[in-house]
Amino acid sequence: MAERSSRGRRGSRRPVSSAAEWTLRIGLFVFCAFPLYWMLVSSLKVSHELLASPPTFWPHEWDLRAYRKLFYETNFWKYFQNTIVVSAITTVIVVTAGVIGAYSLTRYAFPGRTLVARMTLLAYMFPPIIMLVPLFLLAREFGLVNSLLGLALTYISFALPYALWILRAFFQSIPVELEHAALIDGANRAQALCYVVAPLALPGIIATAIFTFIVAWNDFLFALVLIGRDELKTLAIGINDFFHMAVVDWGLIMAAGVMVTIPALVFFVAIQRYLIAGWGAGGVKG
Amino acid sequence: MSVRADTLVAVPGRVSRRRREALTGIGLLLPSVALVLAFTIFPVGYNVWLGFYAKHSLRATSAWVGLGNYTQILADPDFWRSVWLATVYAVMSTALQIVVGVAGALILHRRFAGCDFLRGVALFPYMIPTVIAVFVWRWLMNDLYGVIPYVLGALRIPGMPEAWLTHSTIMWVLIVLSVWTFFPFVLVNVLARLQTIPLELYDAARVDGASTVRQFVHITLPQLRNVLLIVLLLRGIWMFTKFDVPWLLGFGGGAGEAIRTLPVFTYQRSFTYYQAGMGAALSNVMLALLLMAVTIYFVAFPPEADETDG
Repeated sequence: MAERSSRGRRGSRRPVSSAAEWTLRIGLFVFCAFPLYWMLVSSLKVSHELLASPPTFWPHEWDLRAYRKLFYETNFWKYFQNTIVVSAITTVIVVTAGVIGAYSLTRYAFPGRTLVARMTLLAYMFPPIIMLVPLFLLAREFGLVNSLLGLALTYISFALPYALWILRAFFQSIPVELEHAALIDGANRAQALCYVVAPLALPGIIATAIFTFIVAWNDFLFALVLIGRDELKTLAIGINDFFHMAVVDWGLIMAAGVMVTIPALVFFVAIQRYLIAGWGAGGVKG
Repeated sequence: MSVRADTLVAVPGRVSRRRREALTGIGLLLPSVALVLAFTIFPVGYNVWLGFYAKHSLRATSAWVGLGNYTQILADPDFWRSVWLATVYAVMSTALQIVVGVAGALILHRRFAGCDFLRGVALFPYMIPTVIAVFVWRWLMNDLYGVIPYVLGALRIPGMPEAWLTHSTIMWVLIVLSVWTFFPFVLVNVLARLQTIPLELYDAARVDGASTVRQFVHITLPQLRNVLLIVLLLRGIWMFTKFDVPWLLGFGGGAGEAIRTLPVFTYQRSFTYYQAGMGAALSNVMLALLLMAVTIYFVAFPPEADETDG
């Protein structure tokens, strides 16, 4: 044990991995990836093979039936558009308010500042289920049931506090001396924010935007209680409806899963760098 | 923090400038504060008030019942059962998430060929929508066609049930599926902290002849203490109050009765029985439990300098 670990420590220069380490890595990979692999192959099997016993780990016959059904016989594409609209509204409002607010929290001295910062941490912990009844009744009161805007506004309630919290941490890590220098060179406060702070905080802002988007993209609870009309449904509740059809079509559900996962996967790989940066500052709620 | 802010503000002898700075700061914070007040603080206050009423979720009728909702809740065996189930779920799934998350972080800590790829794969379960995660697991564990029951049967592992989505075993499916979905949160936070532990600590320990296990117990764990505590608090709260996963796995009925945790119970009161006042009271009970947990946590583990790292 000690021998392997001493090789391991120097391994930052020349990695030498033992068989045991590779076993663990492969174990982790299988644990994380197998369910996703199974979703993919299940969506591509013909009906009788999907329900075959024993199950086939590599399909004998490939079939796009489930995907044709998904796009031609369900409202999947509409759900997809609705989800993007809601997530985009949420993200724009949360990031705009959050950036300005976090800048204020880290760069201006005023009474109550620490209290606000502590409250955002408390609100970050707040589980959505606690807001279920009041937000539903208030949405009904203001005619925001069956409204994508109403749905986006509820997501703000749990996305903004943690956006403030994460952005505050990012702004704190940017030395104030840089702005000070800009001010001495004759820049005003807005210019300092735009040209000095914002570029340095950009990874944090992007990470926050992604986390906010994911919160809205993944939500099930509020869409379930606030949206009843089929043409306004988001992916989460639209796919939930597939499960409640007379006969559960597993191929269809898995195909929907793949179609939701692929854009996320592509997006995710493209922005992974920023994501890791954001994780260090708190991570997405859920 | 305050030092930083003051370096920008401090222009000696100009009090009015300082006041203007404070006003600008408050002005910039106003949109956020207004949104949080309107969409978080106000609804929570409204909810406390609702808890004293018997109110139908859809109709306008409501009647003041004082503490009636609460006395009814405390006398309801279904409520106590849901608290118990939520506790079992929260404790088991949080503990396992931390074990798997720390193990995963240790596996991914050192660089190797394919390290970045595996890090991405390990985060992915957390990124896919809950609905998809739950339905994929329902399919993996399906009583007739599930691949996991098939593999367990083929491996002849003793003591495995024939069907998993049944009253007696569905809680285990719920726990395993939740660990799969949420362990990356632990992994990432622990990994970020691991990377900041000075290597010299390990060099010194090795000179003294400490084994890998002893190095982990005496160096790594104490360094991870703060991040593990905050992760434990957050995950514990979020698992106890998790609605979508137990709901989508069992829909609160049939075998799902065995995973009708407090959030599912609350949802059913509010939207199956339309007892909004009762639902609000149950939410308030959850809020009180949450505030208690946070208070106990901060008394037991006072925040240290790097507490916000998590």
